[in-house]
Amino acid sequence: MGVTAETVKELEQKQEWWWAAEKKRSKRLDYLRKAMWKKGAIGGLYPAGLYIDLERPVLQTEKAKELESSPDPYVIKFAKMLAHVLDNKTIFITDHSQLVGYLGSHPNMITWDPTLAAILNHEVVNDPTAIPQPVEENLKIISEVVSYWGGKSDLDKILPHMDLDDSMKVLSGAIGWGVPLSRGGYSGKDYEYIMTGVRAFEDVIAELDRRIDEADARAHEPGATREICDLYDKMNMWEAMKITLEAGIRHARRYARLARIIAENFETDTERRVELLQIAETCERVPAKPARTLQESLQYDLFIQLFSRNEAIEGAWPARPDYYHGPYYEQEVNIDKTLTEQEALDLTGEFLIRAAEVSQYKPKWSREGLQGIEGTWVWTLGGVNKDGSDACNGMTIALLQAARLVRVANPTFAFRWHPKVKDEVMREIFECIRQGLGYPSMRNDPILIANAMNWHGHPIEEARTWAHQACMSPSPCTKHGFQPMRMANATANCAKIIEYVFTSGFDNIVNMQIGAETPLAEAFTSYEQFFDAWVTQMKTIFSILVRPVNRARMLAPKMTPRPFLSAISERSVESGLDVCDPSISRGNAWITAFTWVENADSLAAVKKLVFDEKKYTMADLTGALAANWEGKEEMRLDFVKNAPKWGNDDDYVDSIMLDCLHEAARFSRELKCPSGNNWPILPENVSGNIHYANIVGALPNGRRLGDALYDGGISPGPGLDKKGPTAVLKSCSKIDHISDGRAFLLNQRLSPIQLAGEKGYQLWKSYMKTWADLGLDHVQFNCVSDETLRSAQRDPEKYQEVIVRVAGYSAHFVDISRKTQDNIIQRTVQGLA
Amino acid sequence: MPTCKQCKKFFPLEDNPNKGDCVQRVIDPRQTYYKAKSVDAESDAAKCSEFEKK
Ligand code: SF4
Repeated sequence: MGVTAETVKELEQKQEWWWAAEKKRSKRLDYLRKAMWKKGAIGGLYPAGLYIDLERPVLQTEKAKELESSPDPYVIKFAKMLAHVLDNKTIFITDHSQLVGYLGSHPNMITWDPTLAAILNHEVVNDPTAIPQPVEENLKIISEVVSYWGGKSDLDKILPHMDLDDSMKVLSGAIGWGVPLSRGGYSGKDYEYIMTGVRAFEDVIAELDRRIDEADARAHEPGATREICDLYDKMNMWEAMKITLEAGIRHARRYARLARIIAENFETDTERRVELLQIAETCERVPAKPARTLQESLQYDLFIQLFSRNEAIEGAWPARPDYYHGPYYEQEVNIDKTLTEQEALDLTGEFLIRAAEVSQYKPKWSREGLQGIEGTWVWTLGGVNKDGSDACNGMTIALLQAARLVRVANPTFAFRWHPKVKDEVMREIFECIRQGLGYPSMRNDPILIANAMNWHGHPIEEARTWAHQACMSPSPCTKHGFQPMRMANATANCAKIIEYVFTSGFDNIVNMQIGAETPLAEAFTSYEQFFDAWVTQMKTIFSILVRPVNRARMLAPKMTPRPFLSAISERSVESGLDVCDPSISRGNAWITAFTWVENADSLAAVKKLVFDEKKYTMADLTGALAANWEGKEEMRLDFVKNAPKWGNDDDYVDSIMLDCLHEAARFSRELKCPSGNNWPILPENVSGNIHYANIVGALPNGRRLGDALYDGGISPGPGLDKKGPTAVLKSCSKIDHISDGRAFLLNQRLSPIQLAGEKGYQLWKSYMKTWADLGLDHVQFNCVSDETLRSAQRDPEKYQEVIVRVAGYSAHFVDISRKTQDNIIQRTVQGLA
Repeated sequence: MPTCKQCKKFFPLEDNPNKGDCVQRVIDPRQTYYKAKSVDAESDAAKCSEFEKK
């Protein structure tokens, strides 16, 4: 490459990691990384050069019209529509690539699925920045598609069956976000069924054929039973599954054909020709048959992910890539030596790039909430095998090294730490953190396995297979344990709990009664009465969010089926029931608790300044909050500075945090999902703290309407943790991370100067030991200096590639809003002792 | 009327020559690639700006 090792070293010494990575990676990876169209929205808008892909909606609409008069049941029509897209969409193969597959027709296209929700379709019409040229002509196409799907989309179909009152409160956007659709959200996968190399699509098709034949024979034997009635639906479901799998195989073979056409007709470079023929062979093999090599295994995974996203908008990417691809890595790199480490690294880096470029058109509130990225694609690394032994392998290290070479902000990794993790793996993790990627986040595996057993009753062997279903929530990858949809989750804007205590549940921002009509705050004469009102509001908000999700989950199998996801799930292949059917799922629901810590700090401020010290009356405080603290600056500062804050190992406020969590945990066991399992809370934020800044009113912790909320989970308010990193850990360790909730996000900022060299590693390692000893389940780090971040604000062009940890995900610093940038800078940089 | 079948970019399917792939080279601001789209052999190529006679 003509670059000396010293040059790379110099760049690394200056902590210019992006430039160092550029020089260290292979020519192929360098080309592919720079060829990538970054898809994350900036300020809610897609970056210049990206366009909404109209090919898919046109194909879907033309097929739907054609099938209107067909006698097929809906699930089969739907499967045929998916197959029509896979058979006819434009495909492409990028120069130098070895892995293929993209959702859209061209690399800069964002796919739009008009079958999901009319409200999403209307956003497309009103999104002039992303409509491709010629705008007028394409607007005509968009209008035709939008008008066809009006009243026919999934959301249109389920809304009339939902409770109107709850739906209006959810859709107000004040207390939560997301819509309860089976084809929108976080789809776990039954990787234990489809990714272990035991079977692939042809095997499943053979199984489906067998089941259809058996059911058909049974349905025509003499007799008539309820069971036979159910068989008709099952046979349709099995048939629909088969249609999607066969379409998947055909789609892969289209790539094989294209690769051969290029090799035989266009390509003049001999080496590239060999690579193209390798692509052809790979796509002829998978997903039809099980993978034999690392390239086939990665390609197989990629196809599964793309087909699943052909069926649904998936806002997350649950995965355990080292666990499932590791055996192929070991075989080829270490045993057969048919692949060098460098070649494996190239494939791994490209795998990250292929994932990073995936994009699906999403509503603006979702783009704003996930600034700079496409979704929370947190891939799970490390952890243990089903027998409890260390699961790390060569692929774990390859993924960590590849991440530093390609430096994409999405996917990111979360590492399942346990006491048997080897030092060499810890060093690779530390390098990623030290080099400012913001990932992997660290998860405490023994704690989270115990937590999964405690909350959802997953047997230990299943709990040990867990992957992140979204940014934080563990979910097994097993037949009954995995969760097929976002409907495992309701998202709560928890700062509204404390806000509603002061407004008797009336929301002054959206102007409607949402919370419980608790007594006027001025009337409370004791902290206990005040806290009781808090509990009532908490229960009310959680219930409003959970009920629609439960209801939609019940409606999903018939109204919004997922034949492809069902086809790769053992429980559906076996039962003939849709994957979302609650009767075949153990349940792994959770309530994502955004903006949670504001409650503890606010309750502590009220307890201390109003009820203990009697410095202010409840009427004073209610008035000040109603006025957004205007004209009350001295009083506001009193509430900021003279009330104890979470994260300082202060039992006064920490015990209030525990009271809140215990009340929520108690209620979580009363809230049941349709599978009969619990709804524990999971405090974390993505960038909801910024999204909700103008939606949450003034709070007793001194926050004004419009101020950013805390960065989330159980992280202390930015700059409010004044007693150092050990005090933060000690506060957090008072929480029982097994029984007080499903998981707890903790953001920490560390100094890149302090982390330099071997000393830095040893400091971090001893911090991690304290973290593990104290039994916390999560921590993630930002390790970029204030100086770099401020320079990036001043000169964004020069700092395009600086990555930061936002909340449960990472993003390029320049792609997030100024408010979020400032919020990250404000976080306390913890000096490690 | 010219049809796709007469175009250099048309590659018929082995098992069904009435259908095939239109394969084109694309250079966008970031990358170069080959793309393929399913087309019918008898599709009207008169209005196709990419048509190249075989
Ligand atoms: S370039 Fe035009 S004429 Fe040629 S095959 Fe493609 S669509 Fe047909």
